Amino acid sequence: MIPKSLNGINEIPTEIIGLVKESVINTFASIIGSEPSYIEQNGQAKSLNGIIGNIAVFNQQHTLSLMIVIPRETALKLSEVFIGAEIPFESDDMGDLVGEISNILAGDVAANIETVGFRGQSSLPTATRGSDLTLFMPSKPPTEKMKFVGPSGEFWVNMALSESR
Amino acid sequence: MGKVKALVVDDSKIMRSAVKRALDQLMLADFEYVEAMDGQDALDKFNDEIQIMFVDWNMPNMTGVEFSRAVRDKGDTDHIPIIMVTAEKSMGKVDKALNEGGANEYITKPFTADKMHKTISRYFDDDGNIIGEESEEEEEKSFFSSILKS
Repeated sequence: MIPKSLNGINEIPTEIIGLVKESVINTFASIIGSEPSYIEQNGQAKSLNGIIGNIAVFNQQHTLSLMIVIPRETALKLSEVFIGAEIPFESDDMGDLVGEISNILAGDVAANIETVGFRGQSSLPTATRGSDLTLFMPSKPPTEKMKFVGPSGEFWVNMALSESR
Repeated sequence: MGKVKALVVDDSKIMRSAVKRALDQLMLADFEYVEAMDGQDALDKFNDEIQIMFVDWNMPNMTGVEFSRAVRDKGDTDHIPIIMVTAEKSMGKVDKALNEGGANEYITKPFTADKMHKTISRYFDDDGNIIGEESEEEEEKSFFSSILKS
């Protein structure tokens, strides 16, 4: 159970992190057919050439923001698996695809964290594409970065837990 | 094979294509598609020619559950199967879609053609025609006609 006020809480509860990790593995396994591996050393690439899917699971008290960071090569391979053909990285379809992957992940996360009392709903997803991107995670709300590697390549899932306003 | 008009509602073009591709693979019927990008668009495109609907939940303007409810509230639409195809997978959401939304089936994303087949094949006969659920009026008609025949 997450306390109503996050004042003085510097880390996302480990049970939430564990459930999100489980959701990432399940979601990507159901999309690509095999489970991605969680990598302990989660240092993020210094600059990213890729695409980021943003979505949140929220209720009146809390918002769990999820950021799925997908390098260009991984995105292209994921499109091949998901659509059956590689879609151009610069196309609207790529944004659509990453938005949908974010949506599927958030649906699984929402169902999973319900088991620890966080009953929430998913926001609509957005996607941001770019090159030479540096990701800054805010220091105030508790955050967590997780790295995964699967048959389609590496990717990260960053999350932040904040009070809903 | 019978021609079946299907309304596919999803704000993601990729997912609309995935639904259409899965349905074409199943060869349950010769589908003719009408696509809509959210619940409101779907409501605008809905007409009495639509025979089955595949509806996402989480969409801008009008959600899939709101759309399904609006269609059911029109009356005489109970015979049209509504299949929710959504990333929402908690039991509360399933219950809401089936009870409040009036949907007939619930498929979670990502889905396989096999999963789609298991869920929707009962709505099609061997000739590729749709077998919708009978509306109360139709049930009443068939009840009286069976009495008359006997």
